[in-house]
Amino acid sequence: MSQINYRTINIDALDPESSANFPMESLLPATLPQAASASDAANAATQVRQMLRGGDPEGALRTVLDTAPLGGDDRAKEVHLATVIDVLQGIRQGEMTRILEGVCSGDGGAERADCLMKYLYVKLLCFGFQERNCLMEVRGFDCLSIDYRYKGMSSAAPGSGTQTPKKPVSPQDTGFSQIQARNLGEGGGGQQMSVLLSWHERLVEIAGTGSIVRVMTDRRTV
Amino acid sequence: MGKFLESPIAIDRTKLIRAVTATSPAPPPPMTITGRPHKATHLHCVPSIVLPVMLLLDYQNALIQSLLTERFSGATPTSIDQVVSDFDGVTFHLSTPESKTKILISINVKCYKELVQYGAQEVLEREYGPYIVSPEPGYDFSVQVDLENLPAEEEARNDLIMKFALLKRNAMAAPFEKAFDEFNKLAEEASRYTSESAPQGVQEGGEVMAIHYREEEAIYIKANWDRVTVIFSTVFREETDRIFGKVFLQEFVDARRRVLTLQNAPQVLFRSDPPLELANVPGLSATGGEVSYVTFVLFPRHLTPHRRYENISHIQTFRDYFHYHIKASKVCSFSRSYLDYYKELITKHVLQAYIHTRMRKRTADFLQVLNRARPENEERERKTASGRTFRVQG
Amino acid sequence: MSQSLRPYLQAVRSSLTAALTISNFASQTSERHNCPEVEANSSPEILLNPLHISRNENEKVKIEPSYNSVRISIRIKQADEIEHILVHKFTRFLTQRAESFFILRRKPVEGYDISFLITNFHTEKMLTHKLIDFVIEFMEEVDKEISEMKLFLNARARFVAESFLTPFD
Repeated sequence: MSQINYRTINIDALDPESSANFPMESLLPATLPQAASASDAANAATQVRQMLRGGDPEGALRTVLDTAPLGGDDRAKEVHLATVIDVLQGIRQGEMTRILEGVCSGDGGAERADCLMKYLYVKLLCFGFQERNCLMEVRGFDCLSIDYRYKGMSSAAPGSGTQTPKKPVSPQDTGFSQIQARNLGEGGGGQQMSVLLSWHERLVEIAGTGSIVRVMTDRRTV
Repeated sequence: MGKFLESPIAIDRTKLIRAVTATSPAPPPPMTITGRPHKATHLHCVPSIVLPVMLLLDYQNALIQSLLTERFSGATPTSIDQVVSDFDGVTFHLSTPESKTKILISINVKCYKELVQYGAQEVLEREYGPYIVSPEPGYDFSVQVDLENLPAEEEARNDLIMKFALLKRNAMAAPFEKAFDEFNKLAEEASRYTSESAPQGVQEGGEVMAIHYREEEAIYIKANWDRVTVIFSTVFREETDRIFGKVFLQEFVDARRRVLTLQNAPQVLFRSDPPLELANVPGLSATGGEVSYVTFVLFPRHLTPHRRYENISHIQTFRDYFHYHIKASKVCSFSRSYLDYYKELITKHVLQAYIHTRMRKRTADFLQVLNRARPENEERERKTASGRTFRVQG
Repeated sequence: MSQSLRPYLQAVRSSLTAALTISNFASQTSERHNCPEVEANSSPEILLNPLHISRNENEKVKIEPSYNSVRISIRIKQADEIEHILVHKFTRFLTQRAESFFILRRKPVEGYDISFLITNFHTEKMLTHKLIDFVIEFMEEVDKEISEMKLFLNARARFVAESFLTPFD
């Protein structure tokens, strides 16, 4: 015990009354729906995919957003996220605005818009659809965990690849020119990203900036 | 072109640029030395820049040259005691130990022993015959010139000055000369055989001559019957140097293929592990690490007697030229629109931080944009003397 | 402008507009202190859910909002090691001048190249939409700047190589 420098101890963290120990649970509304399990999410997924196949993308999007497992566990959220992405990818660019307008109007339309916005940010966060690590990173931002910020920061590092791997100088006599237009080659996955980005743009047009504010402030994550 | 110009470059300039696009083709951007040149056009015009100012290094030592020119021009003899440094850790000592008219020039080369092994003594004797004196302690080779005993003609005197200023070049030239001679011999021998029946010695070529002219860097020279290979090993201390060096070397490699007039230039190759020619040289680590190997392949046309002198001088300067430009581009680079600015820098020999200059300019730009976020002072109502107010015209 | 750049910047713009609704907030832990909560990290309820926007794996933005401050981190595209060096040099250059850039953070958040920290004091003194304009323009221009520097380096290397090889002939 004498080894620990007591000056470096954050005593605030030990004080139950301190703001550092704010009970985050109290920020969640009492009306949180029943915790959904992965199997519930899977059931919803089958239902939604059927609608999608049945040629009702609007209904599919509406259902998938209505059944979002706001109170579910990580696994359920993950399954549901995959469903949402399937739906979003299943909708053609030209239909986007029409469908969005349909989904975001009527009873509970604003909630659906917010929910979709949350999904878009969760998706925009990471790059690539299939990267499970990336998804786990999203889960790292669990509102109930006090140090989620640290988790997020550290987990952002490995995926980013700041260091370019050192390649040895090799004899290059292929005659290629080093001067290449830099803006031509989009990184991999840029195509998928741009679909999501245009979804985002349309949604902001319809639901407004307030929707983004609610994504930031709502502790019920998807 | 239009597409480029369309992109909003700076908010206040967008209008202007739009206006320009409307009347395309766009006029060339105004170029100024201090002001920021118009952007948006350079991306297309950057390559194929030809500067009238060459940036090659001199072969001779400028200090020795100027000092001797001054002395030889008939100024009153004074005593000299100067140590002059040159590239690759070479030092000269100019002094007048006996009398004011007798100038002693001594040179210290790190790899002198190796050079002697490859015939430096003979080369220097050929060049400086009557002027050679026994080497000054601490130096490798000395020559002495008597001011009272100079050639009468102006031209011969200038030649003599140049000869002394080229002391380093001549000392370093020995292994090259040896390789070139060896090439001639091998070529002659090889011409007597077909390629299949050539004896082992002729096919393999001469031995590899290594000159460790710097702490960690060396030149390797090898003669074959159809070429002479000169390999520079060079060290990049910093990551930035390594990457910049790679860009530069790639251009050396490509230049020959790309430019029609350079078809006859030596072939250049580079790699980070020792090339095949050096397979039998001990003490080279197989994994390159910080060391890169640059190979120049000199073809028979470069080895002809009348090209020989020039080319030996020129290839010696490669390492210093190369590193000098890497350093310079870290701090100094150019574009079409910065051309005037750059020329000025070169002529003044002030190699200012170009990338830095650029970044500074750009930083100032960003700052300007940021400052737009600060609200300007509320414009107060201006009144004339009689108390009438101005209306701001919408 | 590249096709996907516009929606990307648009997404950043709208996210920033949403995030920059910040107001004064005194520290809860130490009396008479008032520090950017996103940096101080003193209590979890003041930090909001971070927003991430990525265009591809090389270009992304992270917006970390809190009650009284927003931290914006940008990862600038770097396709190869030359660009990596240039980006590094350039962002270093900028951060050394952070003093005059009010909102520039001296050290980027890990995994990103450059970070801005906007507090309520900045938004009180400056026009928020112009601050957003600045960030957007920065993202746009920095990309071009790096491309140009790279082109200059190549052009220069080419010139140097040709000058050296010409006398051989």
